[in-house]
Amino acid sequence: MTIEIEQGIDDGVLHARMILQYRIEGFLADEAALLDTHDYDNWVALFTEDAHYFMPIRRTMLRRELSEEFTKPGEIAYFDETRESLRLRAIKFNTGAAWAEDPPSRTRHMITNVRVLADDGFELSVESYFHLYRTRLKSEVDSWVGRRVDRLRRAGDSFQIADRVIYLDQTVLLSRNLSNLF
Amino acid sequence: MTATARLTDIIERSVSLEQGEIDRRIFSDPDIFELEMDLIFGRSWLFLCHESQIPKRGDFVEAPMGRDNVLVVRQRDGSIKALLNTCSHRGNAVCRAEQGNVRNFMCTYHGWTYDLDGALIGVPGRAQFYGDDLDVTKHPLKSVAQLDTYEGFVFATFDASAPPLYDFLGTTGRLGLDLLALQGDMEAVPGVQKFVIDANWKFAVDNLFDFYHPQITHMSAMMAWLGGVTVGKKNKDENGARTSDGKDLAIDWKPQDLSNLVVLGEYGHAIAGPPVELKPDFPGLDRSFVYSQPYKERLGRVGARVAGNANIFPTAWISPTTTQISLRIPRSATQTEIWWLSFADRNMSAEERKVLVRLQNQSFGPAGMLEQEDGENWAQSTMQTHGHASRTVPQLLKMGTGRGKINTDDGLRWIEASTNEHGQLWTYASWKQWMLGWDWNELYDHTTPGDYI
Repeated sequence: MTIEIEQGIDDGVLHARMILQYRIEGFLADEAALLDTHDYDNWVALFTEDAHYFMPIRRTMLRRELSEEFTKPGEIAYFDETRESLRLRAIKFNTGAAWAEDPPSRTRHMITNVRVLADDGFELSVESYFHLYRTRLKSEVDSWVGRRVDRLRRAGDSFQIADRVIYLDQTVLLSRNLSNLF
Repeated sequence: MTATARLTDIIERSVSLEQGEIDRRIFSDPDIFELEMDLIFGRSWLFLCHESQIPKRGDFVEAPMGRDNVLVVRQRDGSIKALLNTCSHRGNAVCRAEQGNVRNFMCTYHGWTYDLDGALIGVPGRAQFYGDDLDVTKHPLKSVAQLDTYEGFVFATFDASAPPLYDFLGTTGRLGLDLLALQGDMEAVPGVQKFVIDANWKFAVDNLFDFYHPQITHMSAMMAWLGGVTVGKKNKDENGARTSDGKDLAIDWKPQDLSNLVVLGEYGHAIAGPPVELKPDFPGLDRSFVYSQPYKERLGRVGARVAGNANIFPTAWISPTTTQISLRIPRSATQTEIWWLSFADRNMSAEERKVLVRLQNQSFGPAGMLEQEDGENWAQSTMQTHGHASRTVPQLLKMGTGRGKINTDDGLRWIEASTNEHGQLWTYASWKQWMLGWDWNELYDHTTPGDYI
């Protein structure tokens, strides 16, 4: 197999794609910065009213049954949020009594491999890889790596997140909690 | 002092029912942990799964029994067997998926193949290399000693001399499971949350009875869910909690804090928490079954007022409110794997099921609005037991000590009191009896509650 590179693309089309890619990557980097600076109110504002934020359970399955690797919406998940429940999480962090984040975790969201999977003019399906690195207290280190698929809705020159599915690469989570967002 | 004498000495003095004090060494001493594997997890009935997780022939899930991993397998005749996931030949796991459907289990080391019931049915080169003198009937996958179900919940034990599951559960354990099972025609919702906490398993167990901690530990979740300002509001307690910068943390004790129902059972089972009539309704979930006549008749006058939380000793937490079971699985003295299994009534409306699954997904588990904070508490409590001086400070369970009058009705031993630590203390007192290595009859006698705790 070879990776096919499109031939003979019109320069105008290519420029439009580059600008779109630039805007999406900028949006995702800005979003990550909000999480890493614990600016949860502004982060929640990036989601549409009807947004769904979902981190399914991943299971170690045999190759022939890999289609059942992830749970689906309506089943058990690590995160299964609406914009309203994300807002409640932001409130929780801001109460001054969210002890698992006080002292706060030190986090770094690295977002890479951004690919536009589909674009209907209204919404885009965008895949990205992430590495969320966290240290907490004196000696706790966590590292979560995975893939996100976002449905980004155009909002002027920027976007809103209408749907995010977070596919973590761990099955049994090797950390004491997920007090951070992805 | 010999190593055994040292352990016996620690265990005998580890739990004081009179003082409400626990020796912190039992939370990180590796020798104590080894003994727990032998005397508790090697003998007790342990929760494996729910029947609905393996509906079809050849369906299996892997489940923990202490540090052992067993494959719980639906047989061709519809029965269930639990087999150690270790090849009789060289010990490799015969299955490395956590669930699925198979015709048989083949070890990927040399190809030894086992039937669903564990029988060794395939040995490559059996005639050529073994000269046919390998007796395959002698080398099946090792099975658990006993397996049984109660209301669809599957349990097993490695001890052939353990009493039947029904008797092991007793009135308290059966009530604990009934609180979930009788909510309808229950089935497992697909997906088990699994995560690892660097904490001793007993901290995770004792917390489920603890209705003293939510107001502080989960203050932020309560404020987000219920609204209201807590930090900085004048505290009603004269000497209550204050933040590091001197602000009061106002806690309004609610009726459910002032009246808790506690049930203590043989072998260490226990239930503690607010009674049914003081549990707040959850919007969108129909809880009227707890007032129905068949439910009340089945559970009895006291039992029908109990709302949880229950622990089937040693580690199966029944959460009736969220219809979930959480396992606190010991991996080492200082590492515990937490599993959350969720259930729903098959006859529930799609709308109500959606509300319930959201509640299950958002409350507990590693990202749960509540459980985020718990892991940090238990991890820090465990870490401090390593300190040479810190470990000499006793763990305190003094709330209501000696004041818990135990009533007996319908075979249930129960206490009604304001928020207390009776459930936790009973768990540790029973833990101590398990660790003294009594036979089953003696253990029953030594874990039968008296008139007071």
